[in-house]
Amino acid sequence: MRKILCFVLISLVCVSFVSCGVKKDVKEGKVVKVALVCPLTGDIAAMGQGMKNGATLAIEEANQTLKEIKFELLALDDRADPKEAVNAANQIVSDKDVCGVVGHLNSGCSIPASAVYNRHNLVMVSPASTNPKLTQQGFTNVFRTCTTDDVQGSFAADFVYKKEIKGVAIIHDKTPYGQGLAEEFQKTFQNLRGKVLCFEGISLGDRDFKALLIKIKGLNPQIIYFGGMYQEGGLISKQAKELGLNVPLVGGDGIYTGEYIKIAGKSSEGDMATMIGSPPDKLPKAKDFIEKYKTKFPDMDMQPYDPYTYDTTNIIIEAVKNIGQDKGKIIDYIKNIKYDGIIGETRFDEKGDTLNKEITCYSVKDGKWQISE
Amino acid sequence: MLNKRKMLEIALILIIIIIAYFLHIEQEFYSLHILSLMGIYVLLVLGLNMVIGNTGLLDLGFIAFYAIGAYSAALLSIKGLSFWIILPISILITGFFRFLLGKPLMRLRGDYLAIVTLGFGEITRLVLNNWDYLTNGPKGLPGVGERIQPIKLFTFTFTQELHYFYLILFFTVGSIFAIRRVERSKIGRAFVAIREDETAAEVSGINTSDIKLFSFVTSSIFAAIAGVIYVHWIGFVSPESFTFWESVFLVCMVVLGGMGNLLGIIFGVVLLVGTPEFLRVTLGGEFVLYRMLIFGLLMVILVIFRPQGIIPEKRRTLELVSEK
Amino acid sequence: MIFQQLINGITLGGIYALIALGYTMVYGVLLMINFAHSEIFMAGAFFGFFLLISFSSIPFLQNNLFLQLLLAFLISMSLTGILGIIIERFAYRPLRKASRLTPLISAIGVSIFLQNLFMLVVSPQAKPFPEIFPVKNFQFGVLSVNSLQIFIITISILLMVVLNYFIKQTKLGTAIRATSSDVETAALMGINTNSVISLVFFIGAGLGGIAGILVGMYYGSIKYNMGFIYGIKAFTAAVLGGIGNIPGAMIGGYLLGVLESLGCAYISSAYKDVFAFIILILVLIIKPTGILGERVQEKC
Repeated sequence: MRKILCFVLISLVCVSFVSCGVKKDVKEGKVVKVALVCPLTGDIAAMGQGMKNGATLAIEEANQTLKEIKFELLALDDRADPKEAVNAANQIVSDKDVCGVVGHLNSGCSIPASAVYNRHNLVMVSPASTNPKLTQQGFTNVFRTCTTDDVQGSFAADFVYKKEIKGVAIIHDKTPYGQGLAEEFQKTFQNLRGKVLCFEGISLGDRDFKALLIKIKGLNPQIIYFGGMYQEGGLISKQAKELGLNVPLVGGDGIYTGEYIKIAGKSSEGDMATMIGSPPDKLPKAKDFIEKYKTKFPDMDMQPYDPYTYDTTNIIIEAVKNIGQDKGKIIDYIKNIKYDGIIGETRFDEKGDTLNKEITCYSVKDGKWQISE
Repeated sequence: MLNKRKMLEIALILIIIIIAYFLHIEQEFYSLHILSLMGIYVLLVLGLNMVIGNTGLLDLGFIAFYAIGAYSAALLSIKGLSFWIILPISILITGFFRFLLGKPLMRLRGDYLAIVTLGFGEITRLVLNNWDYLTNGPKGLPGVGERIQPIKLFTFTFTQELHYFYLILFFTVGSIFAIRRVERSKIGRAFVAIREDETAAEVSGINTSDIKLFSFVTSSIFAAIAGVIYVHWIGFVSPESFTFWESVFLVCMVVLGGMGNLLGIIFGVVLLVGTPEFLRVTLGGEFVLYRMLIFGLLMVILVIFRPQGIIPEKRRTLELVSEK
Repeated sequence: MIFQQLINGITLGGIYALIALGYTMVYGVLLMINFAHSEIFMAGAFFGFFLLISFSSIPFLQNNLFLQLLLAFLISMSLTGILGIIIERFAYRPLRKASRLTPLISAIGVSIFLQNLFMLVVSPQAKPFPEIFPVKNFQFGVLSVNSLQIFIITISILLMVVLNYFIKQTKLGTAIRATSSDVETAALMGINTNSVISLVFFIGAGLGGIAGILVGMYYGSIKYNMGFIYGIKAFTAAVLGGIGNIPGAMIGGYLLGVLESLGCAYISSAYKDVFAFIILILVLIIKPTGILGERVQEKC
């Protein structure tokens, strides 16, 4: 018994010193860390890895031109799990060299993590969390460069209504992202006097949507609006056409990837997706970015949030360059920043949301996402 | 009355308190946070061990009661109640659900019971995710414009990670002492009797189904405490935190650490929650990927070669050895 | 509309039934819930995926669809069957004498291990399954049925008929029935019970593997974590029909498939999975023997 007690004690002591020991070997000189937190493993790791690429590019470029400060990227994995996100957030605030956080990807992770950053007055700019609640918590240190679900959902509703479509069936995947998008779409579409024939939730990871689609087919919708990610979206599109429900599926940025077309196959032809921001290849600056991305990561497809992460990282770098490392001042600087990047001009409103509310609509033509008019 | 062992335990608790304070001064928030998280897990595992380790009921949906505790606390806190009032209410609510589920279960065979608890765990998660009106669905609680009340102790308000750590430590240590009292009582011996041979226990005059139900319901108290503290500490709760794998993870801790032995299961938490997090700092994130793979393999190997766990229970070791 | 739902439910039910057979047969002989069976099903889907991809580059198979499918089914069935035997040999056999819960814990360990193995080795992302089956839609008035649905329904019924014949009419089948009614006595009668148990695992896992390929073909996308929900639903089907009872697993599978489709269409799609879990709990609490009654003896 005594042996065991001693053993537990020693292990506890070791455990608490391990982390101290690790971090004491910080290089001398002015190293400034920018933290990036997103899912680098797990189901949506592809998006997270893409974000990491975007951030890596921004950091490297900054280091090429600067002499006095050296930037470092501290990339952490939150596995899209709220608990892990809070763990990672605590790891970040324990590191004195971190001057800003880029992340997280999922709103479910950003919201609890933002409370930790707020407690330590550390700036957090999310390139991808679209849930409106994130910036409505009254935190001064939270910003985002992407637009919110309500902007995207209502844009899609307007867009669809203008196409003379009066009856839609709405499906969402019961996630904060998917349901948020679907609710906003529904609200706007009903205000326009459009008819929402049904509003149905599905389970994440489900494969068989036929029972639901047979029911929807009986309602004769002109389109299906889907709030969710590409895996379920692709299957819904495919199964709808198999059942002879030949109407386009319209979704948000969650289905705007090549994977969606792979899963849905030929059925995806004519499906539409809204994506936040202007198309990257329309902006002269962005062309340059795409080139660089291709040379640095030749075998990786660009993911939807990579340009956002690139700009977000640059915003924090910009702040450190102009202000130094005072955390409070960095927050004030970013609040009033006017940054001209590859997704257009970013400025923040008093809540911390971006004023750049550009949205582009894409549709699948010949097996590729193309800008739809 | 202060024998050597008691002294050691008190010394250990004091050392933990001092280490935590030292971490706070050093601004090692991450280590402190992981220690707090381990405390939450110890609470959960203490409850689960009561059913698996003591009475031999395999519960594969224990996380559901953590979820019920957390959600009831979040809902009450939004209404403006204080932590100290919420705690007993949440324990009652959780215990009530546990009783409802447990009552018909006591007649079932062990493996059926495991599957029913698994089903209940999944139902709980799906209902929390779909009942938007009450639980705000996938968006989690608190919703926009609502907030969780901070914990107040007389006039002192909890703000720092350190305060929460002490709170968690207080409840964890308290629970350990309470459980030890129960284990050494008549009821504790009845638990073990049921685990080893239900028929024999029944014949010896133990009312087995009542005792089983007692352990089943009591175990949920710890899950409820853990849930209530977690919500106040993190300030946000959403259904995705309560998956089936989380339940399995808890079972792994109990089985690997040593069923029925308090030290063993605490070691299980250190092994499964603490080590990966601290290794993450040293080895980077890639290691986390292999974590579950190793745990799965460990579970099979341990169950075959060392069914009593890494730090086994004395009583059980004697039984297992004498059988051979 | 309701007929359309029924067709959909029967297709789904056939898949559930195939997986449920694995649970039921193993339970019949060993009285244990083979929790890792859901991962065997997932492995079957991935084996099929790799086989079909590699066939498309083999010249003499390229244009012979029938041969491709046949080989994919046979090889994948054998591979998953062997996987089943291996799991039994290393994770369950040492625990024969242990309490009822120990093998279940071991099975959960195997399940965690296999799932993470496939996630690490193959991919954490969903994989699009090769579309080689010629899908044709047939319209019968308002009903639309496609060739793939007919294929799945046919295959599942065919396999069950064959299995039933095997269990009822052959010597090996008799050995399996004897073992499942009483292991010790069967051993005394000169049956090599270890081999019989291995055979049961082989058959059960093989059927699960075929179900995996069918799911891949039908939905066109497979993922490392797909096993859990199918596994739990198939187990529900087995319990519904009466665990340990082979015809029961088939009836339970079809019944659950149809109930799920109707529940999704007429009550709520978001609560679809909840229905299966509620059925599971109710059956276990109210009538653990299921519809046809279980054919297992209590462990003494």
